[in-house]
Amino acid sequence: MSPSRRVAIMVTCMVDQVMPEVGVAAVKLLRRAGYSVEFPVEQTCCGQPFFNSGFRDQAAELAKRSVDIFERYDAVVLPGGSCAAMIRKEYPHLLERWPGGVARAEALAARTYELSEFLVHVAGWLPAPAPHAPRVTYHDSCHMNRLLGLGAESRQLLRAAGCEIIEMHESDRCCGFGGLFSVRIPEVSNAMTQEKLRRADATGAEVLVSADPGCLMQMRGFARQTGLRLAHLAVLLEELTR
Amino acid sequence: MSTAREDILNALRGRVRRGEGVPAPWRSRQHFDDLAVRFSTTLTALYGEVIRAASAEEALDRLGDVLRDLGATRVAVNDEPPLSGVDLAARWPEITWHVVGRTEGDLRAFCAGADVGVTGAVAALAETGSIVVNSGPGRSRLVSLLPPMHIALVPVSCLTSDLLTWAAARSGEWPANVTVISGPSKTADIEQTTAIGMHGPKRVIAILYGEAGG
Amino acid sequence: MNDVSFHSFRAQAAQAIANAHLQSAIDGATLKFRTERKRVLADLPDVEAMRDHFKAMRAATLAHLTDYLEQFEHNARAAGAQVHWAQDAAEAQQIVIGIARQHGATLAVKSKSMTTEEIELNAALAEAGITSVETDLGEWIVQLAAESPAHIVVPALHKTRQQVAELFSREVGRSLSADDIPLLTSEARRALREKFLAAQIGISGANLGVAETGSIVLVTNEGNGRMVSSVPPVHVAVMGIEKICPTWDDAAVWLELLARSSTGQPLSVYTTALTGPAREGDPDGPRELHIVLYDGGRSRLIGTSYEEVLQCIRCGACLNHCPVYQEAGGHAYGHAYSGPIGAVLVPLLYGLEQYEALPHASSLCGACLEVCPARIDLPRMLLDLRAEEVARGIIPPPEQLIEKSAAWLLGHRRLFNALTDLGRVFQRPLVSKNGLRVPRRFNPAQDRQLPSLAPRSFHDLWQELAAEEALPARAARRWPSRRTSLTLAGISLLPLALLWRLLRHKGGKRR
Repeated sequence: MSPSRRVAIMVTCMVDQVMPEVGVAAVKLLRRAGYSVEFPVEQTCCGQPFFNSGFRDQAAELAKRSVDIFERYDAVVLPGGSCAAMIRKEYPHLLERWPGGVARAEALAARTYELSEFLVHVAGWLPAPAPHAPRVTYHDSCHMNRLLGLGAESRQLLRAAGCEIIEMHESDRCCGFGGLFSVRIPEVSNAMTQEKLRRADATGAEVLVSADPGCLMQMRGFARQTGLRLAHLAVLLEELTR
Repeated sequence: MSTAREDILNALRGRVRRGEGVPAPWRSRQHFDDLAVRFSTTLTALYGEVIRAASAEEALDRLGDVLRDLGATRVAVNDEPPLSGVDLAARWPEITWHVVGRTEGDLRAFCAGADVGVTGAVAALAETGSIVVNSGPGRSRLVSLLPPMHIALVPVSCLTSDLLTWAAARSGEWPANVTVISGPSKTADIEQTTAIGMHGPKRVIAILYGEAGG
Repeated sequence: MNDVSFHSFRAQAAQAIANAHLQSAIDGATLKFRTERKRVLADLPDVEAMRDHFKAMRAATLAHLTDYLEQFEHNARAAGAQVHWAQDAAEAQQIVIGIARQHGATLAVKSKSMTTEEIELNAALAEAGITSVETDLGEWIVQLAAESPAHIVVPALHKTRQQVAELFSREVGRSLSADDIPLLTSEARRALREKFLAAQIGISGANLGVAETGSIVLVTNEGNGRMVSSVPPVHVAVMGIEKICPTWDDAAVWLELLARSSTGQPLSVYTTALTGPAREGDPDGPRELHIVLYDGGRSRLIGTSYEEVLQCIRCGACLNHCPVYQEAGGHAYGHAYSGPIGAVLVPLLYGLEQYEALPHASSLCGACLEVCPARIDLPRMLLDLRAEEVARGIIPPPEQLIEKSAAWLLGHRRLFNALTDLGRVFQRPLVSKNGLRVPRRFNPAQDRQLPSLAPRSFHDLWQELAAEEALPARAARRWPSRRTSLTLAGISLLPLALLWRLLRHKGGKRR
């Protein structure tokens, strides 16, 4: 790990366009952890929606574009496990078609982190306990959990900030987003989301926390059906560490 | 004109990639301090019943007790240890016996109308509370299948840790039928409600006899 | 089996979702299987290493499949079994019918077999004048109801006790109470016992075949596998060519993982190894054992990147852990193989065009891969099938155009930002507290509210944020500025509006 305390942030297209407050919170947290943050303005999308829909060529172009943009930075941090997983797991093979592409993608992948992962394992930063920290329940996003093996970090950060975590039944059950799945097979997608919210409600927590903007966006689509606040990990942590 | 066999094998030959060979066998890492205790506990939890007996002779006494308590009148029995050579009709004259291979008459029809089927066992698996029965001369498949109750006289010496251990140690030819029985038959196909006793026996009793290491 | 379009999958899924009883049954059954599976797998020492071993063994078997099939056939024949080969369903049906006819069979009893569902054997037998009675209780229920199975392991999952009582009552000619499940079970036992004893032929599948001895293994809880293979004088077993394993050591690992992964039992009640028909001197057992080795498109997958799907042992763990299956139910998949394994296998065996929706019946959550005893990478194969759909033009042109345009746009940041600026303007009348207010008819997310674009994007906010956080930054939005991009976008609308009016006018004239 490079000793420099400069990172680049890839906010993800969903954060950029729909929930920029997540990106703002992520930057602030990284600052509080002692890091300088750069935002390469050319960024748009990691390419995952196209990869998941079978549009490999389009995904490869966007992947290459992202590698071009980000490879000059010592580390890249994303407030979303799904996009981080895309870079780490799929970029290497997507860049096969360009000479030297695989090596470049692998090099970037090795320096790409999801936010909670970066804060805990690289920055070694934990928040101090905040007064009146809420009771929360945590949604384990599929890619972050199963592809990156992350989830303990988010919980560690929340506990350190003073939150009591009440686990919902099968917190790792998919929220129903799945990218375009949510509009291709919306009936099933919606049923999954509503089940997720029911289980979260049943915990009696005040906040349902997710570290993935996609999941959050999906669950917010049924916000009217729950009394829970639906918050991104970064946003809640930022509030608690002001 | 090629046969289906040739077509299928040729299609496969053109495609199989002949990669790595099969890895070395996985050996059981299971360990139980007391095989008999593990066997009994497990089979009982599966709705089976286990009776301990110190010897084959005592096992036969226990068998008699069970049959008497049940009021059994028609019993099919395999001609295998520890039952072969026992004069069952003399010992329990109130019961109509069909000894496989010795008694005249339709075995299948008898089993279909019998109260109990009695067998020995060639092996028992502690991990899963299982009784292993073979087919062969004097060893009927239907005796442990058709009657509503199956009693197996299981020597402690044939107890082994688990399926992996048993399969690894097993040698010799395979008979036409080897069945590993882990409790009475059951189903949960109606509203996921467990019902004991479907096509196979509703009750399974293992009379576990003798000392280990025999 | 039916073609599965997006429309049909969604319609069937919606029905399943609205069916409270079905949802409750699926939830209950799958939760029990999930809980029990976890518990009993934890009892196996080094179970993760064991799964790795199992996967390696399955992969190696498929890599040498011809050797093991030939070995299996040789040893099965040596034990007195007759081995047949069938390339497709029609051939397999003909073989079984031929055997039945040879013995003048008019009644067959059948134990549960997904492969025989796959080849639609019962229908073929019926047409040939042979009654085939399912003997697995769940399959019998489904047969009496003239439906297809709802789950690989618990086919009658979707039936209420009332429905079952009604079916049984009609069958036995007496009114049976729905609330006495033990009674219903014993009535079924009695009715099916008669069939077992009367049948001339017993039909089964095979959970696995062992090349070392030419044995097949049947696994059941009810005992119907033992019955069909021991009571009638002839036994026919249909087995997919991929269900082979090399030795009994391998079979033991397979069996240690199968029931645990499936229903959370360390072993099913009956695990029966059949090596040839009854021997000389055996007091009972079938005098003939026929094994039908069934290809059905499997050989085509060998040597491809989809070969891995043939490692499946039909345990159903993927179904039990799949939230899509849990909501949509098995029937939406249009085939006996449903859930994650069905979503991959059915298009591969029966055509991607015909089953175009199945690779999309997944949110790619990865739960299936996590629990598969053979660690089959179903998510990877779903993605590969989706890519194939694009490459083969199965995805309709309008959709392709939208995706390709969107991807192109995302490669041009300034243009993309300009367009989202436009979007921010147009969305204004629709924005409400939790997203956009869009009539359901026009909402691709149906009952779910769509998100609105934030008033200012992160790109818009960056310069202020950087200043606030004392970070060096050039502005993210130097050109075009918001005002410029909106003006340009507005101007661009003019020719588009003109074009639209022109087309409408022309259209009117042509009429």
